[in-house]
Amino acid sequence: MSSEIYTDTPDAAADSAADDASSFRVEGISKSFRHVQALDDVSLEANRGEVIGLVGENGAGKSTLLNILTGVLEADDGQLYVDGEPVTFTNPREAANYGVSLVHQEQDVITTLRGYENLYLAREKERLGVLQKEEMRKNAQAFVDDLGINIDVNDHVRNYSFNERQMLEIAKAFHVSQKSDNPVILLDEPTAGLEENGRKLLFDLVNDLRDRATFVFVSHELDEVLDISDRIYVLKDGERVDMTHVEDATTDSLQQSMVGRETADEYYRVPDQRREPQLGEVAMEVDAVVHDDMIGPVSFSLREGEIFGIVGVEGSGKQRLGRLLAGDLKMIDGSITIDGADLVNPSVSDMVDAGVGYIPKDRKSEGLLLYQSVLVNTSLAMIRDMNGNMPVLDLDAEQESTASAIEELAIKTPGPNALVHGLSGGNQQKVVIARWLAQDTPILVMDNVTRGIDVGAKEEVYRLCRELTQQGVSIVFIGDELPEVIGMSNRIAVMADGQFIGEPFDASPGDKPTEEELIQEMV
Amino acid sequence: MSTSSVKQWIVAQREQRTLQDWIQDLGPFVMLFGLVIIFSLTTDRFATQANLLDNVAKNAVTLLLVALAGTFPILQQSIDLSVESVVLLTGVVTVVLIAEFGLGLLAIPIAIGVGMLAGLFNGLVFTKLKVPSFLVTLGTLSVMAGVGKIITGGSTITFRNNSIRAIANGEILGIPNLVLWGLLIYVATIILAFRTKFGRYCFALGENERVVELSGAKVDRYKIYPFVLSGLLCGIAGVLLTLRISSASPNIGSGLLLPSIAAIVMGGTALTGGVGGPHRTILGVLVIAVLNNGMNLLSIDSFVQEIILGLVVVAAVALSIDRDKIDIVK
Repeated sequence: MSSEIYTDTPDAAADSAADDASSFRVEGISKSFRHVQALDDVSLEANRGEVIGLVGENGAGKSTLLNILTGVLEADDGQLYVDGEPVTFTNPREAANYGVSLVHQEQDVITTLRGYENLYLAREKERLGVLQKEEMRKNAQAFVDDLGINIDVNDHVRNYSFNERQMLEIAKAFHVSQKSDNPVILLDEPTAGLEENGRKLLFDLVNDLRDRATFVFVSHELDEVLDISDRIYVLKDGERVDMTHVEDATTDSLQQSMVGRETADEYYRVPDQRREPQLGEVAMEVDAVVHDDMIGPVSFSLREGEIFGIVGVEGSGKQRLGRLLAGDLKMIDGSITIDGADLVNPSVSDMVDAGVGYIPKDRKSEGLLLYQSVLVNTSLAMIRDMNGNMPVLDLDAEQESTASAIEELAIKTPGPNALVHGLSGGNQQKVVIARWLAQDTPILVMDNVTRGIDVGAKEEVYRLCRELTQQGVSIVFIGDELPEVIGMSNRIAVMADGQFIGEPFDASPGDKPTEEELIQEMV
Repeated sequence: MSTSSVKQWIVAQREQRTLQDWIQDLGPFVMLFGLVIIFSLTTDRFATQANLLDNVAKNAVTLLLVALAGTFPILQQSIDLSVESVVLLTGVVTVVLIAEFGLGLLAIPIAIGVGMLAGLFNGLVFTKLKVPSFLVTLGTLSVMAGVGKIITGGSTITFRNNSIRAIANGEILGIPNLVLWGLLIYVATIILAFRTKFGRYCFALGENERVVELSGAKVDRYKIYPFVLSGLLCGIAGVLLTLRISSASPNIGSGLLLPSIAAIVMGGTALTGGVGGPHRTILGVLVIAVLNNGMNLLSIDSFVQEIILGLVVVAAVALSIDRDKIDIVK
C-alpha cells in the first residue's frame, strides 16, 4: 500500500524546477466559510533550509492556512507549489507524499503504543500480513538517532515526557515525508505545553535540522518566533498584513501588525499594580504544606490584592503546588489558614468554601463543560450555595449573574445559552474566570491562565486581574511564561524540586527581577 | 476575524445547522407520528379511545417509569442495568406485605423504600469501591432477581384488596389512574432534571466529572443520587405493576431493560452522557408502545415483531443522534 503511494512522488518535476529556490509556495489562497472570509488572497513562500514564522491572533486564519497546506481543507482559490510544481492535496496523506506534514498542537501520538509503533502507524512494515516488529524497531531507532532525537523507540509512549512525545511527532513528520528530499514541516504552536528546558531542546532540534527540512513555525509567543525564524509572516483577519525578515522585526512591531495597535510597557498594566502600602491584610497563610516526598514543605503568605507569582521548570512541582492549594491533591502535612480558620488536608469543596477558586492549566479537559451553555459553566460553582441548602436552582439568579459576567468580562458570545464549545479560547477562559467571580471568590489560584489565547485576549485577562486585585482579590499566579509572571506579580517565588528556592523575589513596579535572574534560580 | 465576523460566523453556523437540528430534534416525533398514521390506516381499532388509553397508554406506563429511572444514570454517563430486577423485587415485596403481612397501604412506601435501598447500594459500590456502574448493576441485576424469585417461592403470589387495587386501576374523568401516575412522575422528573442542583450536576457530570470536581461540588454524593432515584422510580413501577394485576409472578419486570435503554437513547439521551433528558425519554417509550400495540393489532408474528422493533430502534437512533459531537463511536 505505502510503496504504491510513493510512486507518484514528483522526482522529475523537482529536477525541472531546480532553479526555483522556494521549496514550498502558496499563491493567492482564499477560503471562506459561508459568510466569513477566513483567508483572503494569502501568498507565502518558504525556501530550502528556511524557518518561517507565522503569527496572528486567534481567528486570523493560521489554522485554516495550515489545514489547506496539509490537504485537510480545500482552498476556494489559489495554488500550492512544491518544488515549483503545482500540486493539489485532497487529504493529509497526499500532502505527506510531497513532504508536507503537520505537527499538531494537541499531541497526536497513541500513548498505549510504543515509540516505533507510532512512527510506523498506518504504514507498518509487514510480510504476509505479519508485522516486522524487529525490523521496524531497528529502523526507527536508527531514524531518530540520525535526526539527533534522543528517545527510546521501544518504550511505550505513555512513559515519554511531554517533550519526548513532541520529539517523536517531529520524527514522525520526517518519517512520513522520507521520500521527499526536502520535507516541509509545519509546527502548530509547538511550545504551548512546553516549559523552558523543553523549549530549548525543541529549538536546538529545529536548528540542527534546518538543512534537512523547511519549517513553518506557528506560535503566539512572539519572542520565540523571533528567536527561531528567518522570516516572519503576519496574518490578520485572514489577510497577510506583513512579511518581514527577522532582523527587521521586534515583538512590538509584530504585535502592532497583528493587532493593528500600539502595545508597549503598558502590556501588563504595571502602573495598576498595587504597591506596598495599598496591600491589605494576609488573605491566605500557607504553612509548610506537604503533598508527598516530592512536593513541599512550602510556606508563604498571600495578602489581599496581591499577585503572588510562582515559576519553575517542568517537574519543579509548581503545577502540583497549585493543585495542592486547590485541595485537589492530598495534603499530608502542614495547613492553610484563611480568615482565621485552619484547613488541614482540605478537599476541593473545603477550599471553595474557604474562598479559593482554582483555574487549571488545561481549560478544555478540566476547566469547561464544552457542550454546555455559558450559563451552566458560569454558574457551576455558585449553584453550590444557591438557595441555602435547598436542592432547587434559582434560575433568575443564574441568568442575572451570567448576564453581568458576560458584560463585565466582555465575553463574546451569541448569548448566555450558547455552547462554550463555539467560543474562542480567550472567551472560554473568561468563562472559567467568571465562574469564580460569580460567587465573589476572594482568592484565585491560576495555572497558566493565558495559555493558548491570543494577544488581545491576554491583554484583557491582565486588565481583569488588575481590576480584581484593586477590589481586594488575591491571586496565586503560576506560569511558564516568565515575562508574564514578572510583569503581573508583586512577588515571585522560584520553585525547584517541590520547594521554594530562597525568599520570593520582590517584583514591585520599577524593581522587577529579570528573566535571567529567575532562570538562574530555576535550573 | 473581527468581532463582527465572529458573530456572523456563529449566526451562519446556526442557520446552517437548522435543518440538521430539526431532523435530530424531530426524529422520534416523525417516527411516532409515522407509526400512528400507518396503524390508523391499516387497522380499524388502533385509533380508538379504548385502544389508545387502555392498551397503548397503560402498557406504556411501566416502560415509561423504568426508562425515566434509567435516564438519570445515563445522563451522568453511568448506567443502571438492574432496573428490571428492582421492579421484580419491589413488586414481590408489595404483594407479600399485603397478602401475608396484611400491611395494606403501608406496603407501598416500604416497597418503594426497598427500591431506593437497592439504588443506594448500587451507588455506594459504584462510587466508594470504584466499580464501574455497568458491572455493579449487572451484578445486582442478577442478585435482586434471585432474591425476588426466592421470596415468591417460584410461583405467582396474589392478594385480594380492592381498595388498594384502585390506586392503579381506577380512573379520573375517564383517564386511567395508571396513566395519571405515569404523567405525574414524568413531570416530576422533568422538574428534577431542569430545576434542581441534582439535575444540573447530572448533566455536568455526564460531560466532564473533573470540571465538576474542581468547581467544589461533592461529586460522590451527586453520583449516588441518580441510582437512588432510579431505585425509587423502579419501586413505583413495581408497585403499580403488581397493584394493577393483584399479583406478582417470578417473571414480572423481565424484558424491560433493553426496551427501556432503547427508549432512552431514541429519545435523545446519549449513552455518552451530558445531553438529552427525561422530557425526551417519553418519545422513545411511545414509539415502542405504539409499535408493539400496532403490530399486535395487525396480528404480526411475535418473532417478526422482535425483528421490526430492533430495526426501528436502530433507525430512530440513527436519525436522532448528534454526530457533530461524536468523533469516535465505540
